[in-house]
Amino acid sequence: MKTIAKSRINEVLDILAKESKVLVPMKVNGVSKYTPWGSEGRIALEEVNTLLPPKDTLFPQTEKMYSYKMANQEITELNIHDDSAPQIIFGVRPCDMQSIKCMDDVFLTKSFVDDFYKNKREKLTTICIGCSRVAPTCFCDSMGVDPGRHEAADVQMYDLGNSYGIEAQTEAGQALLNKLQGLIQEQAGELTAVSCTLKVDTSGISDKLAKMFEHPIWKEVSRKCIGCGTCTYLCPTCYCFDMEIKNNGNEGYRFRCWDSCMFSEYSRMAGGHNPRPSKNERIRNRFLHKLEFFNERYGKNLCVGCGRCLSKCPVNVDITLFIDKIKEVAVDEPV
Amino acid sequence: MSQCKCENPLVPSVVTVFKIVEETPDIKTFHISTKDGKKPFTPMPGQLGMFSLLHVGEGMFSVTAQGENHLEFAIKKCGMLTDALHEIKPGQMMGVRGPYGNGFPIELCKGKDMLFIGGGIGLAPVRSLIKYCFENRDDFGKIDIIYGARSMNDLCFKEDLFENWPKERDTNVHVTVDTGDENCPCHIGFVPAFLEEINPDPTGKIVVLCGPPIMIKFCLESLTKMGFSDEQVITTLEMRMKCGIGKCGRCNIGSKYVCLDGPVFTMAELKLLPNEF
Amino acid sequence: MSDTTVKMRDIAKDLLDKGTVDYIIGWEKGRFSNQSPPAFITSAAHVGRLIWDEYCLAGTAKYLLDDKFPTGKIGIFARGCDARAINRLIQDGQINRENIYIVGICCSGMKDPATGNTAEKCQYCTHPNPIVNDILLGDPVPETNKPERFKAIEELERLSPDEKYEYWSKQFEKCIRCYACRNVCPACNCRECFVDQYRVGWQGKQNNEDENRLFGLTRVYHIADRCIECGECARACPMGLPLMELNRKLIKDINKLFGPYEASMDTETTPPLAKYNLEDIEEFM
Repeated sequence: MKTIAKSRINEVLDILAKESKVLVPMKVNGVSKYTPWGSEGRIALEEVNTLLPPKDTLFPQTEKMYSYKMANQEITELNIHDDSAPQIIFGVRPCDMQSIKCMDDVFLTKSFVDDFYKNKREKLTTICIGCSRVAPTCFCDSMGVDPGRHEAADVQMYDLGNSYGIEAQTEAGQALLNKLQGLIQEQAGELTAVSCTLKVDTSGISDKLAKMFEHPIWKEVSRKCIGCGTCTYLCPTCYCFDMEIKNNGNEGYRFRCWDSCMFSEYSRMAGGHNPRPSKNERIRNRFLHKLEFFNERYGKNLCVGCGRCLSKCPVNVDITLFIDKIKEVAVDEPV
Repeated sequence: MSQCKCENPLVPSVVTVFKIVEETPDIKTFHISTKDGKKPFTPMPGQLGMFSLLHVGEGMFSVTAQGENHLEFAIKKCGMLTDALHEIKPGQMMGVRGPYGNGFPIELCKGKDMLFIGGGIGLAPVRSLIKYCFENRDDFGKIDIIYGARSMNDLCFKEDLFENWPKERDTNVHVTVDTGDENCPCHIGFVPAFLEEINPDPTGKIVVLCGPPIMIKFCLESLTKMGFSDEQVITTLEMRMKCGIGKCGRCNIGSKYVCLDGPVFTMAELKLLPNEF
Repeated sequence: MSDTTVKMRDIAKDLLDKGTVDYIIGWEKGRFSNQSPPAFITSAAHVGRLIWDEYCLAGTAKYLLDDKFPTGKIGIFARGCDARAINRLIQDGQINRENIYIVGICCSGMKDPATGNTAEKCQYCTHPNPIVNDILLGDPVPETNKPERFKAIEELERLSPDEKYEYWSKQFEKCIRCYACRNVCPACNCRECFVDQYRVGWQGKQNNEDENRLFGLTRVYHIADRCIECGECARACPMGLPLMELNRKLIKDINKLFGPYEASMDTETTPPLAKYNLEDIEEFM
């Protein structure tokens, strides 16, 4: 197959960076995340995955939407903000590639197309690197993701030890490979299949959960949750956002920003009524969204098994233990 | 002035508020149209618009009525944005985007007798359908409107209630207030009890119900008692909405987004949804 | 450690069987061997879940805020840090001492699950023995004052203002505003945090260095003289911000300006910033 020596990756990135921003896993101030190639930090392709998910590329944590100017009662200016530009995301893992598919479903389908997302998505080329090893917290193959590859990526790469196997899966991917001709070799390469050590049985979980809205299990599962946004912000598929204003006198801009359904005032309405007043309802909403509501609406799990929430939740709220528990309990029996 | 083209569903068009009607001490109706004197969009009855004071914020409100060239929406003063809206004067420019929501199921209502039940500001979304029925009078049967508010001062759309609507063909308007004195010209009592007094016949009727959650709860109990089925009763829900296009995740009840799949649901549909509103 | 586990389970069983408490807050194993998150045991039949090992890092006291007006009593296992946290909540008027039954555990320190070495928060612990309890498990552990916990602060103080600004800029750039630090902190117990007061607008929702710094520094000032140095904030932070450096800087300054002070050693002593002495330093009037 076609391969690129790992020792020449920097050259690959330099070539790609000539015409686009290239986002690569890098360690910056101790945190591994997708960072523009050329900025300060240490490349971190050998890690199992980044700490921060790649959703920031298409759906920034803070995104300016439009700016305005007012004078007395008049709106004198209203300008839509568009800073989308060609981007290449290099080194996405199959779990995160699946998360991009989920985001595509949310922002590009069902009556309305989100232009802010669409403009960035059209200009994004994805290069997926299959996993050659797993972390104890990975469980993507239980969630329907193949840790070795993802068919939606523009370019698929495989970790072969001293080199990466590389193949184009789309036209955009082929155009990219054409730029790297000088660095690509033909080599015999053996792909070793890798499989997660953490397994969860999710069969039938969606249907079972649909009947468990009033089940007492939610109180037990939610008790130790501290209501922070760690799981939602590290999750590659969480997409809830807020829209707010930054106003300075007569001018300002509207922006959108990540929000978390775990925060207590997330669903509070004007007038004070809150349909999810306690951790009970909020945890229930989060897990049901990941494992049931999204399936109902878009036909796929919203959890991709990346394991970030498992390793970073300050009190180890664990979706895999939760799924195990759901498989155990009877639909109508108290816990 | 740069008028934004706004195919981007999250970016508003610019409109001017040319008339403000004070319905009650805490409810005002705003009449808006674009700079060229047109409607920014044409909503179906029951659809919503996201209205914004650019420097304050956005809020989802139902379009209570529309003319050939303007839209009307009624706002109750109950939070930061609505407080600011109540301070503006005619001539103020605002943002609006829409139409959002599924609207009322007109086809389901055609040929039927209609019973509209509203409480307080809840009459605002229902009013759009009432007006549609009067504009297409032959498509609908008998029309009964039951409306209640806390007191005489809190009744909205008094011109419609006491002058316009009673004049319509085959139409009865029943107004009640929670409290009043001996000079009160209308019925005194809560809406659910008033509903039972009126005792409407369920045959061939569609009920459209909107008001405070407690009123909805008791009215539903009364309607079921009187023999109405869940498929005959339609209501419109309220949830905190931000994007209006079914993407930000905030207004979901189960897998349905209130801003996209709702806010209008029949009682039968609501019973299938998780109990979270 | 397993001896303590047995004692924990026995005591919990006893308290639950007799109805002395409605439920008891402790720790249990998570999926992995280096996880011992909080557990809520509601019946004597489940006490087998309780565990005491070197990964019982999470604080238990903050959960008392979820049940401020319990029908019965709440049992709670408390190490040194948890006991001070309980005092903090009592002194801040958030819970009643009569509603809780404290099982104290003398703690010799926990391990960092990522490295297996002593957790940073435990390295600088000055009070591993619970100062308030209804019953004590285990023998008291030696306590020292640990002045070395201010060493990192002294090094930071030697930097120039520009260098300090750079250092903290790099840190606050990482903040994702998850509010884990605020939510685990026993001193952060306001019913409505300043961050959530949208009408007033103290804090915006954008994630950028300015807003992140505003949140981080304001929180530190809000808890200044009430921080019990449990280190939960730094442990919970998914981005590894060195939050205890900020808290300890203020504690060091408070010690200097108002005399040596340790928060929550009892529930009577008023924190220095909440009272005024005529001898207090004032250089600006």
